[in-house]
Amino acid sequence: MDYRIENSGKDACVVFTGDITFSENVSFRQLLRDIEEIDIDKCVFDLTNVDMVDSAGLGMFLIAREQAETAGWRISVKGAQGHVASMLKLTKLSDLLDG
Amino acid sequence: MADIKPDETTDFSGKARIEGSVNNARILIVDDMALMRQMIGMCLIRGGLENIHYASDGDEALTAIEENPPDLVVLDLNMPRVSGYEVCRKLRADERFKDLPILVQSASETPEERVEVFKAGATDFVSKPINQPELQARVRMHLENRFLITSLTDFMEGMKRELVLAREMQESLLPETITISEMEEQCGIVIENYYQACFELGGDLWGCWMLPEDKIGVFVLDISGHGVGAALNTFRIHATMARFKWSMQDPATFLTDLSRALKPHFALGQFATMFYYTLNYKTGDIVYAGAGAPRPMIVSDKSVRLLDSTGMPIGIVKKPDYINHEDRLEKDETLFCYSDVLVEAVQPDGSFLGEDGLVKWVEKIVSSGERKSLVSKLLWRFFDGQAESLPDDLTAVAVHRHGPDHDE
Repeated sequence: MDYRIENSGKDACVVFTGDITFSENVSFRQLLRDIEEIDIDKCVFDLTNVDMVDSAGLGMFLIAREQAETAGWRISVKGAQGHVASMLKLTKLSDLLDG
Repeated sequence: MADIKPDETTDFSGKARIEGSVNNARILIVDDMALMRQMIGMCLIRGGLENIHYASDGDEALTAIEENPPDLVVLDLNMPRVSGYEVCRKLRADERFKDLPILVQSASETPEERVEVFKAGATDFVSKPINQPELQARVRMHLENRFLITSLTDFMEGMKRELVLAREMQESLLPETITISEMEEQCGIVIENYYQACFELGGDLWGCWMLPEDKIGVFVLDISGHGVGAALNTFRIHATMARFKWSMQDPATFLTDLSRALKPHFALGQFATMFYYTLNYKTGDIVYAGAGAPRPMIVSDKSVRLLDSTGMPIGIVKKPDYINHEDRLEKDETLFCYSDVLVEAVQPDGSFLGEDGLVKWVEKIVSSGERKSLVSKLLWRFFDGQAESLPDDLTAVAVHRHGPDHDE
C-alpha cells in the first residue's frame, strides 16, 4: 500500500494505491499520524486504485473514523470499486464512512 | 493496588540474572603445568568468577566434563596423553557438548595453528603469555553468549509449549466430532467442515447446535486480523454466545445481542464478521442473518445462488439493525459458508480469486457430480495453488441435506 496526501486549504484527500491488508498496519498508522499534523475539516480517502481490502484493512478505516471524530473532522471514501466496493457494502461500513 | 514492577520473571534476557549466572558459571581449566593452572585460576577469580575447577591433562578433562559438565573450558593444546586438539574433537562429536564454549590457550601461535585449532572445534583462542584482562573479558563474553542463548532458547521453547496448549484449547471451542455425527444422524444432513489457523492460533470460529422445533443453528465467524489477539477474541465471543441461548432461535436477535455485549470489549478497529442461520431439518426452511461475512451459497446439482449476508460486523456499533431473511434448503442441496481467505488469497498468477471465481469453482465441482464432497474438492484445488502458507485463517462449512432416497 502507498498513499499520497493532497492538501488544499481545509480539505485533504488521501490517494491510496495497492492492497490495504493486515500487513499494512504500520504504514496506515503512519498515515494517521501524517493527517494529525495538518489542520483539516474534511478528509476523503480515494480508493480508486485499491484492488483489495481485507478485514484488518476495514478495521483501519474504523480507527481513522474514530480519529476523525475525536479531532473534529469528517471522513469519507470515494472511488471504491470491485472487491473494495463489495466489502464496504457487505459490511455496511460505506454507511459509516459517508462523511 | 500495588504497583507491578518488572522483575526477573518478566525480564527473560535480564542482565542481572545473566551476570549472576556468569559469576557462578562452572569453569574447567585444563593444563599440564600446575603453575599455569594456578595462574589462570587466580586470574579468573580476580575477575569475579567463583566456580573454578582444574584438570591436569586431556584424559582427566574428558572424565571431569563427563561427570560434571562445565559451562566453559579453558584448554591447553600441548599436553601429554590426550592433547587439546583431541579433547576438542571428542567434545564436538558428542551432541551434549557441541555448543560448550572452549577457549584454547597456546604459546606457539602460527596462522596454521589457529586454523587447526578452530577446525578441531575451539570457540576462541588466547595466546600465551596470558594477558589477564583479555582472558577475563573473553571468558565473560563467551559465558554471557552461552547464557543468553540458553535463556532465549528456553523462552522460545516455553512459548511454543504455551501456544500448543492454547491451540488445543482453541480447538476445543469447535464442535466435537461426536456432536456433529449425532446431529447428522438425527437431522438427515452431512456437515462437511474444515478449519485451519494460519498462525498457531486463529481468529476464525464455527459452530452448530440443536434447537427446539426440529431446527439446528449454524454459525461461521471471522475476527478481524489474526494471531493471538484475534484468537483471544474467539474465546470471548464463544463465551458470550453461551449467554444468549434463548435468542439462538432468532438469528437477527442473536447477532444483535452479541454485538451489544461485545462492543464495549472489542478494541477499536476489531470486529467479527459473522453469518448465522437456523435450518428446519424436516421442512428445509432456513432463517438467516448476516454481519458482513462472505456471502454463503446454496448449491444444488444444477445451480449456485448467493445469500445476502450484508450487515454491520459484530462489535462496531451497539445497536446494529440486523435483518432476518428467509429461504429454503431443499433436499439434495448444500448450504456452504466460508471465511474470506478463500476469495482473498493470492493465486499463482498474482490475482485473487474473488467471489465470482469461487462461484465458478463451485459450479464446476457440482457439474461433475461432486457436490457432496464440495469442501474437500474446493480445498484440494485451493491448496494446489497456494505456494506459501495461508495469509489468514480458513474455515469452510457445508451442510448437505440428504435427498428423498437417502437410506436412513
